[in-house]
Amino acid sequence: MLQLARSFGSRIAKKGFHFLPDFKLKCGLEIHTQLSTQNKLFSLSTNDPFASASLPNHHTSFFDVSLPGTQPTLNPEVVLLATKLAVALNSRINMNSRFDRKHYFYADQPMGYQITQHYSPFAKGGFLELSGSLDTIDEDFKRIELVQLQIEQDTGKSVYRGSEGRSLIDLNRSNVPLIEMVTQPNFTDLKQVRAFIKKYQNLVRHLGISTGDLETGAMRVDVNVSVNEHPRVELKNLPNTSSILSAVKYEYQRQVELIQSGETDRYSGFSETRGWTGSSTVKLRSKETTIDYRYMPDPELPSVKLSPSAVQSVAQSMPELPDAVLRGLMSEPYNLTLKDAKILAIKGNGHDQLYTQTDLLKFYLDTFNCYSELSGQRLNPKLPTNWIIHELLGNLNRLQLTLAKAAEAFPPQKFAELLMLIQDDKISKASGKLLLFHILDETNTSSLAQPVDLGALIESFDLNTIEKIDMNELKEICIGIIDEISDPKLIEGIVSGKKKNSLKFLVGQGMRMSQGRIKPYLFEQAFKDLLEVKW
Amino acid sequence: MSFKAAISRLDRVSKIQKQYNAFTYLNPNCKELLVKDGLCNTKKPLTNLLYGIKDNIATRNIPTSCGSKLLQSYKSPFDATVVKLLENAGAVSVGKTNLDEFGMGSGGLFSHFGPTKNPLFPSQDTVVGGSSSGSAAAVAADVLDFSIGTDTGGSVRLPAAYTSLIGFKPSYGRISRFGVIAYAQSMDTVGIFSKSMSVVKSVFGILDKYDKKDPTSLSEGLRGKLKQLSTPKSSYKIGIPQELLQDNIPSELQSGFLLALEKLEASGHEIYCVSIPQMINSLPIYYTLAPAEAASNLARYDGLRYGYRDDTADSKDDTLFAPTRSAFGNEVKSRIVLGNYNLCSESFDNHYIKAQRLRVDLINEFDNAFTHPNILTGSPGNQNGVDFLISLSTINLPPALSNYGPDCTSDPTNPYINDIFTTPMSLAGLPAINVPVVKSKPIGVQLVGQYGDDSRLLDLAAELL
Repeated sequence: MLQLARSFGSRIAKKGFHFLPDFKLKCGLEIHTQLSTQNKLFSLSTNDPFASASLPNHHTSFFDVSLPGTQPTLNPEVVLLATKLAVALNSRINMNSRFDRKHYFYADQPMGYQITQHYSPFAKGGFLELSGSLDTIDEDFKRIELVQLQIEQDTGKSVYRGSEGRSLIDLNRSNVPLIEMVTQPNFTDLKQVRAFIKKYQNLVRHLGISTGDLETGAMRVDVNVSVNEHPRVELKNLPNTSSILSAVKYEYQRQVELIQSGETDRYSGFSETRGWTGSSTVKLRSKETTIDYRYMPDPELPSVKLSPSAVQSVAQSMPELPDAVLRGLMSEPYNLTLKDAKILAIKGNGHDQLYTQTDLLKFYLDTFNCYSELSGQRLNPKLPTNWIIHELLGNLNRLQLTLAKAAEAFPPQKFAELLMLIQDDKISKASGKLLLFHILDETNTSSLAQPVDLGALIESFDLNTIEKIDMNELKEICIGIIDEISDPKLIEGIVSGKKKNSLKFLVGQGMRMSQGRIKPYLFEQAFKDLLEVKW
Repeated sequence: MSFKAAISRLDRVSKIQKQYNAFTYLNPNCKELLVKDGLCNTKKPLTNLLYGIKDNIATRNIPTSCGSKLLQSYKSPFDATVVKLLENAGAVSVGKTNLDEFGMGSGGLFSHFGPTKNPLFPSQDTVVGGSSSGSAAAVAADVLDFSIGTDTGGSVRLPAAYTSLIGFKPSYGRISRFGVIAYAQSMDTVGIFSKSMSVVKSVFGILDKYDKKDPTSLSEGLRGKLKQLSTPKSSYKIGIPQELLQDNIPSELQSGFLLALEKLEASGHEIYCVSIPQMINSLPIYYTLAPAEAASNLARYDGLRYGYRDDTADSKDDTLFAPTRSAFGNEVKSRIVLGNYNLCSESFDNHYIKAQRLRVDLINEFDNAFTHPNILTGSPGNQNGVDFLISLSTINLPPALSNYGPDCTSDPTNPYINDIFTTPMSLAGLPAINVPVVKSKPIGVQLVGQYGDDSRLLDLAAELL
């Protein structure tokens, strides 16, 4: 039964989906972001909501389990991170924000209320700007306005054990700091939603305030959807970007069908909360059964007082924001493609990464600077890009070597020297690749920490381009290669000029044999002479 | 106190307990903690002083029940800051004292452990006052040198008056509330009972400390400021708020009040009449805010992590935790209902917000009445104001236990009227003290100082004894 429902649902959601011009989609997002602070929001217990499942209720203080007589003390690191986010999102920071209690009973809500900021949130307004050139949206620019940012506690976790007929409670996540960000319903299509989520996710990673992972629940997105100004429906329990997008599609079609069939009157006036099953949205609760949260200003937590100068100094301590970094990399002197710039500036999910984007970007910029000094007028911006983004990162992954360790043995200055050797044809590209791999491999196995001596290595491996070539010797090599060819048609093709490309094959053989130390054009000439090629 | 005297007091505990029901739990190791005379090289300020502590304050060695079935035999894994401070100062805990459940009540009757009775009336069961009922009774019965209570709307001052004790509620924030189980923490204040002013002063000296675990603890900086402000004078202006001159006060209380005024005049102080109009709204403000905070604070008692849990079910009629939470006493239940009503979205603006606003108005009027500055509000003080305020502590004499019951069932607001003299100071966080006027008679006056003026208030109160 479930299987059937699934395939039916996914067909609706995937096949033949398109927005109908008469039915305007309007979407807003509500994003909860767990902050990567050392400690929890109001206690000194370790903030590690994903402590291994074998350690439930491990990171819990007396306050987190709501023992009688305990009191909250605000973790100042949370305020620092919230300030960074608010500044980055152009929000107006409230110099005197306050905490309120939101009451509802639930087994993983140990105090019977959640401490949040309802009446006087941390920041109001602000926006995140999406652009066609950076964010894969159809419009040139799309500004998503924000309603507010508020600091609040996360709840614990309930684990249902259907077979035992009971649920287990894990309070490791209880009192973990969250920022809830609410956008205006500015989204009109799915690309904008996807782009916003990606962009916001990268921003919190870039600022170092959250891992931003949807899969772990460190970032959770609720979406409200309305069509043609009908009452909005709030979608919850959306574990990843694809389910967010599928749920919006499904919900759009469902609402359109309701409108088309005239059934909306039945629902008018009620905003509804719906969940996502993986294939369809299902009703969780509607307005009539909404809980009254009985918000109350917390009677003992002091307000969060900030001064404009404190906010200013946080703003000054912040790194350049991702859009500015991208645009910088895509213009003079770097001229990177968007794809390459994103490799340097957009954070991955951070799991078992060998480098942070900040470190990688710094390595790139430092190398670029050194290289640009050495090369002067002859600067070729593609050289550092290719050698860092493709060669270096490829090798780090292959060797499982961290960038930090690699940079000790092979700092930007040395890397630039290597680039110059290649640029000046002192060594071939192939030799350069071998050399780079060798250095990194050594670093990895023998913890070589001294910056390497490139010259000595090149000498010892005999990698120098062969400057003076004995033409006879070259001829010998070429004859040897031609003799090896078992297919006479190949040679005929070259001589007749019908298969000019086959000459490249011969040159390639020559390059391989000489390990790239003899320039290809020399081989080409030698083969042409030998075969008496006329073309 | 000498070892011998302490032992002989302890020997009376079980008899007193039987008669007045002052304790919920006794400390089994109490005698071993006493120090033999001469044995102790470094005498601590409270060595061998016996004390009891209200059972809504967390203690590690003895259970902490709040007088409630919900926390019956609950044992806290940590000590409240006040408990640690007293222990370090050498005081010896005799046990936990009885109370109205979670501090809600002014009679001392609403406890899961049964009512506490008033030792001033050994021959007739008489109301002792609450909610710090056991703390008052045990000191009045002379088995303790002092006791610790909590005062949210009068819960130290009222029972002190009914038992002829000194009952001191310091300024809000001076004594740490860490480990004090919240009833309405914007007003909850740790207070001290004793028959001796010097004991009250030295205990206050021990407890009056900044505590970083309590977000409402008065900061070191402001404490320093208070010290500079506190210059004792030989003659004070003392005001009688006319709003607290009520009709139908028993004549014994009235003459007690006059006696206190005469004494003060005789020692060179001047008496004035003042007006603080918002005081008449104190009861409605208090009974809007306190139950709202209580409803919130008591939401955690669901039985899942600690305390009592219903054997059969965690929910009833789709209401989570209803079976467990139905074990609250009736007074607590009605305050939770009232509090939730005040917080529900339809009435929040009309009730809670309005009460908050009136509370600020009340504080402003107090500021305007006092010559002393208010370091919290920034009020510079009114040069034409008074130094202290005086009133009676109670509107009546303690009724017999048998007369108390019907009152509160016929009109649920009736017992709240007892708090009329005490709630204004709680709302403003002011230091206030009940001073018995006639020895061993339940007649007490209340002296009140500006915020932070605690030490001068204690000195003035001493003159009345």
